[in-house]
Amino acid sequence: MNVFKKLYDYREMLKTSIKKDIGGKYKNSFLGVLWSFVNPLLQIIVYAIIFPLIMKSDIPNYVVFMVCGLIPWNYFSTVINRSSFTMIENGNIIKKVYFPREILPISVVTSETVTFLISSILILLFTLGYGLGLTINILFYPLVLLVQYVLLLGISLIVSSVTVYFRDLQHFIGVLLQLFFYATPIVYAVDVIPANFQWILKFNPMTYIIEGYRDIFWGQTMPDIPTLLIVLAIGIVLCIVGYLIFNKLQRKFAEEL
Amino acid sequence: MQKDNENRIIVEHVYKTFDVYLDKANSLKEKLLFWKRNRKETREVLKDINLTIKNGEAVALIGVNGSGKSTLLKLMTKIIYPNKGKIITNGKLTSLLELGAGFHPDFSGRENIYFNASIFGLTKKEIDNRLDQIIEFSELGSYIDNPVRTYSSGMYMRLAFSVAINVDADILLVDEILSVGDQHFQEKCLAKMKELKAEGKTMVFVTHSLGSARELCDRAVWLNKGVIQMDGKTDEVIDEYIKETT
Repeated sequence: MNVFKKLYDYREMLKTSIKKDIGGKYKNSFLGVLWSFVNPLLQIIVYAIIFPLIMKSDIPNYVVFMVCGLIPWNYFSTVINRSSFTMIENGNIIKKVYFPREILPISVVTSETVTFLISSILILLFTLGYGLGLTINILFYPLVLLVQYVLLLGISLIVSSVTVYFRDLQHFIGVLLQLFFYATPIVYAVDVIPANFQWILKFNPMTYIIEGYRDIFWGQTMPDIPTLLIVLAIGIVLCIVGYLIFNKLQRKFAEEL
Repeated sequence: MQKDNENRIIVEHVYKTFDVYLDKANSLKEKLLFWKRNRKETREVLKDINLTIKNGEAVALIGVNGSGKSTLLKLMTKIIYPNKGKIITNGKLTSLLELGAGFHPDFSGRENIYFNASIFGLTKKEIDNRLDQIIEFSELGSYIDNPVRTYSSGMYMRLAFSVAINVDADILLVDEILSVGDQHFQEKCLAKMKELKAEGKTMVFVTHSLGSARELCDRAVWLNKGVIQMDGKTDEVIDEYIKETT
């Protein structure tokens, strides 16, 4: 297909753009890329203190349970947040140079994936630290990551292009993500939610992705492959729809920005 | 290989209009409160433009401000799209509309060469091959490994121009950037342009500097209020243009 050839021709730009996204973020800070490690660690410490206090939970190894949800969630919300800014941030180049605009959302998703891979070390450390050990099921980690990546790519294509036309969306997304945080089983388990609200979690694809990571590290079992494949299929559909929307909207980017 | 007389750029019946909002309701609040107040004016920037540029031609686009020159150039690079009509380009195209687009101030000049050249669609290997040439042309010497934010504006422009000019494209679209740096560097740029022309590159310039247009181009297109007023030999068009505008 045409779009793949275009992206292949511009692969160097994609690469440098990802590099710039990762390196540029921490370029002038003392801890550098370590921040993608320290930041979630501090967040985990805060959550590990607060949530067991306010919630009665009998979840064993609660911290590991929560880390398995929190790190993938951060990955999810950062991508969506950054997607809503990426076109406006890069408005300067968009108005001056031609390049396949798809590179920008792809680069956001991919650079955050690298950050996620770094902070996944935290999941590993907490799993080991709580004496859970690792099982062969860790081999499914790339599959869950792939599902999340595809899903995020689809969302990112839509969010990044639509915000160019509706700037208000940027602010709305921040609030929406906060709401979504509580509609996703991150700090609690699915079964504590009353039956009449369960449907919210059912329609939230992040539920299945987080449960996937949780099965691997915290539950030490095989993740629910058929469900994950369904989420993957939804992600692929979202990518196609997202690309169509993106392609339609990108024709006027330079004029709108 | 391309044939000598092959068409590089074909512009067919192109129309471009911009919507100009006189008081655009930007936020949700304004949209709700003043939903009627969204007066917009449609401004026709280009009207039925037909233009064919052959391989190896150097064409100057001239005209007063607001005549649509830059818009036409942007349409050719596919930064914006026409409302009607179509534009076909043939071959690798580079546009020098703005220098230093995509420079990241915290990275070194060398790293920025990679960022900037990659925006023009070059691969790592192609950039590696050109790196020395780019650095030499920019005359930055050992400054090349310093962060770009420490550069003077002249150094910044020199680096940006060096990257852009060394992108080995078939078609070069240039928007008023020959005024880079000091006299010495300007002459160097002009010489480089001539060299590229001699190599048989196709070039389109938007310029107000009629002198360099005469020197560099063999054909000129005079745009006036969105239509082509005159198209022909550089000297003839420019003489007529000067007669009309002064």
